[in-house]
Amino acid sequence: MTSVTINGRTVEVEPGTTILDAARAIGEWIPTLCFDERQDPFGACRVCMVGVEGAPAPLPACTTQVRDGMVVDTRDATARRVAGAVVELVLSELPEPPASHTELAAVARQLGVSGTRWPGTVHERDHDDRHPYLALRHELCISCGRCVRACDEVQGTFALTATGRGFDANVAAGLDQGFKDSACVSCGACADTCPTGAIAELSLLDLAPEPLHEVTT
Amino acid sequence: MSKNLVELIRRHHAEGAPTALEVLKAAMDDHGAITDDDRRVAAERSGLPEAAVHGVSTFYDDLLQPRGRRHVRVCTGTACFAATGDAHVDAVREGLGLGLGERSADGETSLAETVCLGFCHSSPAVRVGDVIDAGPGVVERVLAGAEREAAEPDPVSLLAEPVLIAPGTWAGLRAALERNDPEATLEDVKAAEVRGRGGAGFPAGMKWQFARAATGEHKFIVANGDEGDPGSYIDKWLMERNPELLLEGMAIAGFVVGADHGFVLCRSEYPRSKPALEAAVARAREAGCLGQDILGSGFSFDVTIVEGAGSYVVGEETALLACLQGLRGTVSARPPFPAERGVHGMPTVVNNVETLCNVPFIAARGPQAYRDLSPGATPGSKLVCFNERFAKPGLYEVPFGMTMRELCEDVAGGLVDGHEIKALQIGGPLGGILPGAKLDTPFDFDALAAEGCMVGHGGIVAFDETTDMRELARHLLHFGASESCGKCFPCRIGLRRAHEMLAADAPVDRRRLEELLETLELGSLCAHGGGMPAPIRSLLAHWPDELGLVAA
Amino acid sequence: MSDARFDTTVTTTCGYCGVGCRLEAHARGGRIAAISPALDGPANLGHTCVKGRFAHQFTRSRDRLTAPLIKENGEFRVATWEEAIDRVARELLRIKAEHGPNAIAGLASSRATNEDCFVMSRLMRAAIGTNNIDNCSRVCHSPTSYALRKAFGLSGATGSFADIDRADAAILIGANPTAAHPVAGARIKQAALRGMQLVVIDPRRIELADYGVLHLAPRPGTNAAVMLGLAHVVQRDGLIDRAFIETRTEGFEAASALIEDYTPADVERISGVPAADIERAAHIYAEAGEACLIWGLGVTEHKYGSEVVQLICNLALMTGKVGRPGSALLPLRGQNNVQGSSDMGALPDTYSDYRPVSDEATARAFEEAWGVPLSREKGHTIPQMFDAAVAGDLKAMYIFGEDPAQTDPNTSHVIEALESLEFLVCQDIFETETTKHADVILPAAAFLEKQGTFTNAERRVQLVMPAIDPPGGAKTDFEILTTVSKALGHDMGYETPEDVLAEIAKLTPSFAGITYERLGRTGLQWPVAEDGTDSPILYRERFELPGGKARFATLPYRPPGSEPSEEFPLILVTGRRLEHYNAGTMTRRTANLELLPSEVLEIHPDDAERLWISDGDLVSVRSPYGRIEVEARVTDRIEPGNVFTAFHFPEVRTNLLIGPSADVNTSCPEYKVMAVDVRPVAEAPARRPALAAGD
Repeated sequence: MTSVTINGRTVEVEPGTTILDAARAIGEWIPTLCFDERQDPFGACRVCMVGVEGAPAPLPACTTQVRDGMVVDTRDATARRVAGAVVELVLSELPEPPASHTELAAVARQLGVSGTRWPGTVHERDHDDRHPYLALRHELCISCGRCVRACDEVQGTFALTATGRGFDANVAAGLDQGFKDSACVSCGACADTCPTGAIAELSLLDLAPEPLHEVTT
Repeated sequence: MSKNLVELIRRHHAEGAPTALEVLKAAMDDHGAITDDDRRVAAERSGLPEAAVHGVSTFYDDLLQPRGRRHVRVCTGTACFAATGDAHVDAVREGLGLGLGERSADGETSLAETVCLGFCHSSPAVRVGDVIDAGPGVVERVLAGAEREAAEPDPVSLLAEPVLIAPGTWAGLRAALERNDPEATLEDVKAAEVRGRGGAGFPAGMKWQFARAATGEHKFIVANGDEGDPGSYIDKWLMERNPELLLEGMAIAGFVVGADHGFVLCRSEYPRSKPALEAAVARAREAGCLGQDILGSGFSFDVTIVEGAGSYVVGEETALLACLQGLRGTVSARPPFPAERGVHGMPTVVNNVETLCNVPFIAARGPQAYRDLSPGATPGSKLVCFNERFAKPGLYEVPFGMTMRELCEDVAGGLVDGHEIKALQIGGPLGGILPGAKLDTPFDFDALAAEGCMVGHGGIVAFDETTDMRELARHLLHFGASESCGKCFPCRIGLRRAHEMLAADAPVDRRRLEELLETLELGSLCAHGGGMPAPIRSLLAHWPDELGLVAA
Repeated sequence: MSDARFDTTVTTTCGYCGVGCRLEAHARGGRIAAISPALDGPANLGHTCVKGRFAHQFTRSRDRLTAPLIKENGEFRVATWEEAIDRVARELLRIKAEHGPNAIAGLASSRATNEDCFVMSRLMRAAIGTNNIDNCSRVCHSPTSYALRKAFGLSGATGSFADIDRADAAILIGANPTAAHPVAGARIKQAALRGMQLVVIDPRRIELADYGVLHLAPRPGTNAAVMLGLAHVVQRDGLIDRAFIETRTEGFEAASALIEDYTPADVERISGVPAADIERAAHIYAEAGEACLIWGLGVTEHKYGSEVVQLICNLALMTGKVGRPGSALLPLRGQNNVQGSSDMGALPDTYSDYRPVSDEATARAFEEAWGVPLSREKGHTIPQMFDAAVAGDLKAMYIFGEDPAQTDPNTSHVIEALESLEFLVCQDIFETETTKHADVILPAAAFLEKQGTFTNAERRVQLVMPAIDPPGGAKTDFEILTTVSKALGHDMGYETPEDVLAEIAKLTPSFAGITYERLGRTGLQWPVAEDGTDSPILYRERFELPGGKARFATLPYRPPGSEPSEEFPLILVTGRRLEHYNAGTMTRRTANLELLPSEVLEIHPDDAERLWISDGDLVSVRSPYGRIEVEARVTDRIEPGNVFTAFHFPEVRTNLLIGPSADVNTSCPEYKVMAVDVRPVAEAPARRPALAAGD
């Protein structure tokens, strides 16, 4: 067993445990956007940064394995600053604020982020409603990879892919022909994990999501 | 990197299937654009799911830029920028009447940008088909349809006895096989303290040790020939002009870690690399230096050459492994490290081309001889290359520890036409920018790091007094944003925002910029997002007025 | 986390297949707004499928039954509950008085809760006084139940789905989980990608075969030969676990002698599976550290289906691969509560825990609890009920949550039986092919509208909780059945389904420690000791047979009940599609119909070419029992000589083609092997209703 101290509390975990899992095991909250406990850690969103004693800079909790004697501070000021800035960047790429029920809205609330210091180009609206249950809102995609991994690591259908690169990265079903004409088996695991509502149940779109807040620009 | 997709690739590879990227590249070569039918064929042949193939087809420049019968690629690397301030790009664009990424309606001509063609010693460079022309008059020749092959540099070694530019002789492999003690050879490489020459400077011996200790049905050696750093043409020369040395280094690495196969991933921007390497592999097999039972030792090792498809970040080792297997060239978080899970999920060593080229000397002559090459500094020698702004541009083998002034003035002869060195960018776009006033800094890992700079790949790009530093910042961030793989959020969005701030025709709010740079530095997954702030920080520190900054 | 989009969220258990996904059902405005998987569901681990997640709109379909219907002069009219219950009670009491209690039979449902099945069996045994009670596991997994009890002692999977995650190898036999048990299918696929050596035995190249290391495609009906061949190789090559056989089993010598005869070459002649593949599969299984055997209805729905399951058990016993983590025998149960409906004793020969009705002590215990004398005589199985009805011996049936006129074989015979009855009560959520023949239809509740427990394919008893109310005047099955019982003069005395579970626990040793509180969010796997300890893995130390030893079965290969002939040269195999579920009563009332709007007949390109059939052509499929028309789908996923279709669409009444042949031990119909003739329908008219033989 490996001993790790998180926010002053020492806990014994299996070797190979990540900081995030160790923290969750003792009820310490670390914000995440690209993490889903059903999937392997991905390390893309960089919102789970934590301070680690002796480390020159914050480390991502989801992909950093604990070492014996490690001392972790989940509220480290630098780590929180980076996490908040990343959430601001994410809000800056969306044409509209995320609906209040989404994980992104919840993380923004918890980190106290309500606007962005870096406004700029936003994603273009592009809607695909060809499937009877699943709606795709490309402009809400933040490329966290959760839907693609749900389809890969949980369902094993491989109907989704990341597309493009850089700021233009997004997601597509099959050859971008929509869920219905792709290999999709309509299990809905993608909608289940999506933190922004980019993939959502069509029937739920009408349940009037209230915006998180106005993004100040 | 998806474990499941890698497993599907492994299974299909075992049955001789090509990678999806290979099939898509062939389709592009055949008809200049990727159709859904091409994607379906690639999925069928490679065993990769259709969606994954679609993802690959939207990632690489080579698959995204439509090609006419005459495909013109204009280099927008940093050396070409330093030479013309991008005037050559505008000239080609206007001359052809096409924007970057466009193909003429009749399908005859197409224009795309490319970074970088590795002809930095005679910038600017333009590629037409597989012919790369460079230097004065290149634009006129290309527009007249009269392009010609540009000359390659002739390297010079400052060492008493050249190490890296001496043709490979397989003596190191012979010595290692005769000694027949992989552990001892590993100890030599560790004792020689070979630091990675691709930018990160990680000790090569450590990577070998991890891979040697790992268990796997197979193990692999991968030579990282994705020398994407603009301004660098070192690995290009090694792969094209001294491929035996590289292959020998790979075979020694294979012998040490217990690998039976190697891959070289070279760049599509260097059209001569793959043929040169393949010819060398064929010669080596003929000579019994690669293949089954090498030199009668019982050790078997063979090498496959794979060509990339236009992506800077593929130079990062996990992205490189993804590209090698035909996947999207995005970075993966480590662990798992390639030494545990690399090609086909097997233990894999990824070393830079030049790093591996150091190995035969150590195997043949021992670690002390290697350390003696650079007394009092980082062991070994280094290839450096200078851009067209210098009086004597080209490729040089140097010891570590010389000052930048010695390199720039004594070796490369200072700048042409009496120009002055306003600044240097060393080691690629992720390196800081050294002002002309600091040329007395030694060329070595730690000394450069102290100035916010790095050895990196060893490319040295000089900017003269005519260079507009805000334009340089814009140039660098354009490169950074368009090459971001899109995996981690800080880099994906942050570089776009940084570019927007500097490209806008407005003053830059210094604090907002610095906060953004901090987010990139501390938050990014790999050295691309983490390193792009370094040159911008240098510009902020040394040329704040030129950047047009305002306080918040 | 509360979500303002929903009024309520209730954690319940899926009512589709036997995987037993735990679901969060979100309601708004009295309707299901959405369903998401429970992250802590042990069987689904935060995943579910197109049915569990999306196919819930049927609950508010406009044609839901919302009031009792009584047939008068051949027409149904709306009735009050009082009228309907009164009519049911009067007719059943009259028939009981005139013809005795054995003139009445009841069908419980593998779709219903444990409590409903228990109450239904009490209704028949105590209120009516007959053991004529059966459920639809008769037509799917009764052979599994029979064989597992013979070989090991208990009627259930020996392990859990979690064993798949730990296995080094697995053999999947006669099941297509990625379509029929999608969440288990996904789990098997992930295991195969992780490196579990998967061997698929199925006449079709199912999706999972693409991820396995080996696919054996035996001729339909020759599974027994393949299992004997595998056993032969294991024995011949010294791969048996002699210590296990000696200490924990009986009957190996006789089985061993028989196995000698089934050389791979012989098996190749019988099954068409190459001898080399038999050898390789046997080695993969026997040499793996831990290995699972997983099967479905492609094993059971055969003339000798129960014997094949026994031979599967033999293989595990020879290699000692049972009773350990990673080495489980896992039958994939087709419906949500196939396991539970039989566990509860909704069977003509057993009380709960499979205790025979003839067992004096058991019968006494139930008599004491229920306060009435109970019959010691076995009742009718489902096929026997229909035979008795046609013969005029059975006068009334009470069918609850089943549609035998759509799903049972030899459909013409079933319809004749239903028509022969004097009185038929149907209790369902929709009108079905069967309710057409009813005298009274009672409107019931769907699984999202009621409370109770389901038991999944790994013996896990999990809570079912109502997320919404039944629509209109529809009532829960618990309420209806207890009311009918009271009207028949037998007041069961339960206030809630929880009271029923308490009585089940009291009367059923393997449920002894089960309470709502202990079931909690993740359920318990029976047997559950009084202290609440459950059993993810059975037989770690001993088998539940006299002496604690498992029994080898000595059974030869015997040919199936239907073989190709000159007149019927192709073999029809039937099964399920991903998007639909059984009779389609539920899924066809959802947008799943948009995802898969019609049925097809899969046929190999060679057969299609020979028969002048092109992809998309309308073809006629004829067996000695009936004829249907369906669109052809030409695919190399099926072997030449075989054709495949599903049975979800009333437009294509596949079961018209299936004859009376059934498992020799359990009467489970031989759905999986029917010789048919396929030919193009010359003209392509709009799809006509299917024609029964003799029409």
